[in-house]
Amino acid sequence: MQSAPQPDAREIRDNASFHALMMALSRPGEVQTLPEAGFAPLAQALLDRECRVFADDDALVPVLRATGAALVPLAEADHLFVALDSAAAVRALAGAAVGSFLYPDQGATVIAPAQIGVGPALTLTGPGIEGRRTLRLGGVDPALWEARRRLCRYPEGVDLFFVDGRQIVGLPRSTAVAEG
Amino acid sequence: MSLDTLTRPWKAFSYGFLDASAKREMRRKILKAIAVPGCQMPYASREVPIARGWGTGGLQATLTLVHPGSVVKVIDQGADDSVNAASIRRFIARVSGAATTLDTLEATILQSRHRVPEEKLRSDQVLVLQVPNPEPLRPVEPNMSVARQMHADADYGRMWLQLYEQIVRSGRVMQGASYPSLVNGRHVMTPSPIPRWDVPKLNMAEHLTILSAGREKRLFAVPPFTRVEPLVFDDVPYRVEEHGALSCHRSGALGFFMNEIPQEDGTARYEISDSQLGVKHLDGEAPGETWYRDGEFAT
Repeated sequence: MQSAPQPDAREIRDNASFHALMMALSRPGEVQTLPEAGFAPLAQALLDRECRVFADDDALVPVLRATGAALVPLAEADHLFVALDSAAAVRALAGAAVGSFLYPDQGATVIAPAQIGVGPALTLTGPGIEGRRTLRLGGVDPALWEARRRLCRYPEGVDLFFVDGRQIVGLPRSTAVAEG
Repeated sequence: MSLDTLTRPWKAFSYGFLDASAKREMRRKILKAIAVPGCQMPYASREVPIARGWGTGGLQATLTLVHPGSVVKVIDQGADDSVNAASIRRFIARVSGAATTLDTLEATILQSRHRVPEEKLRSDQVLVLQVPNPEPLRPVEPNMSVARQMHADADYGRMWLQLYEQIVRSGRVMQGASYPSLVNGRHVMTPSPIPRWDVPKLNMAEHLTILSAGREKRLFAVPPFTRVEPLVFDDVPYRVEEHGALSCHRSGALGFFMNEIPQEDGTARYEISDSQLGVKHLDGEAPGETWYRDGEFAT
């Protein structure tokens, strides 16, 4: 009988990063904890040669390139690492892939920095939320919410993650976001 | 840059059996499945060392989630001790080093074939259901490209017609297991062949459910607090199996889903389907909070 295999450090981190992503998306607006801060562990847990990725931060490019994913323009990417803190960035997001009614899974995953727990209040309703949940999110342009409503013609849409240090929250396309 | 920086040290096999790229694909698809509850997401479905149709879909989901701190429970039709469940449980433990349990309350990952445990699942637990046929439209539309278009259009008229015809012919809905259910008011899914008794347990539940069909290469999910509504007509209410008044002949447990055991004389005896709940009754151990109380679904 062989002894049980032990995961290496990378495997442990990828598993824990995904667990946070999965819990964040299945409980929108509930803050989850990542094993390490930053975008790199998320990219490593999700991306490989089958993916097309876009990042607006050149510092992240070597990490993304190392995953094997193709670096492509925003509109062709299935994973986006972008700041959404300006009106221009939110306008650019309008070009992101939203999938189709036939294949909703082709809608992009968008990972953005934000400040969780500060800033304007958002009221969330939808799957994963018992009744309603309030989320405060700073560092995000207020135009995002109208842009997101236009993008997310359910079941089409993009799925958002906001990362603040080791904290992460998810907003799947199924969540309705009301400002205030 | 040298070759050493691009490769990882040699290992006999990957942690959790699945290689890293297989796990990454599962992760991406599980996220999309959660984002669109009840919608079937295609995935590659790698080879695992059991035959397709014996739980490979559920096994791939479990192997993606598992880590050495996980506690895994595997059941087959409610029983922890069937060959299929015992083999899968032992395999998961062997390749991941995770702990195993028979107790629903102790488990963090519950892989199941065709039952949802009777004890209420919590928010920190994940239920993985093995799915033989993920397409609820298959009885009415064998062409899966057309069926996909029907899902895209939310065109479920033929699904309703099938249920109507059953009522006209037989006086009631004849669909026993895999009762078609509308998820989040948009996609009709099959809840896998769980009995009608178990479908209400997925509605507005505390736990995340991942349904994975390895042979058919589709994966879908029901997040917590998501509406799962069995398709019913206003004047023909949804009925679960009439097991509320039955008691288990071995453990005496009353008001849970039972296995019917035919006897020589033409009568039947009943045995509780959730085997570990039966064991708890035999040992006089207090079970956790259950979905059904006194044979009625407690809301």
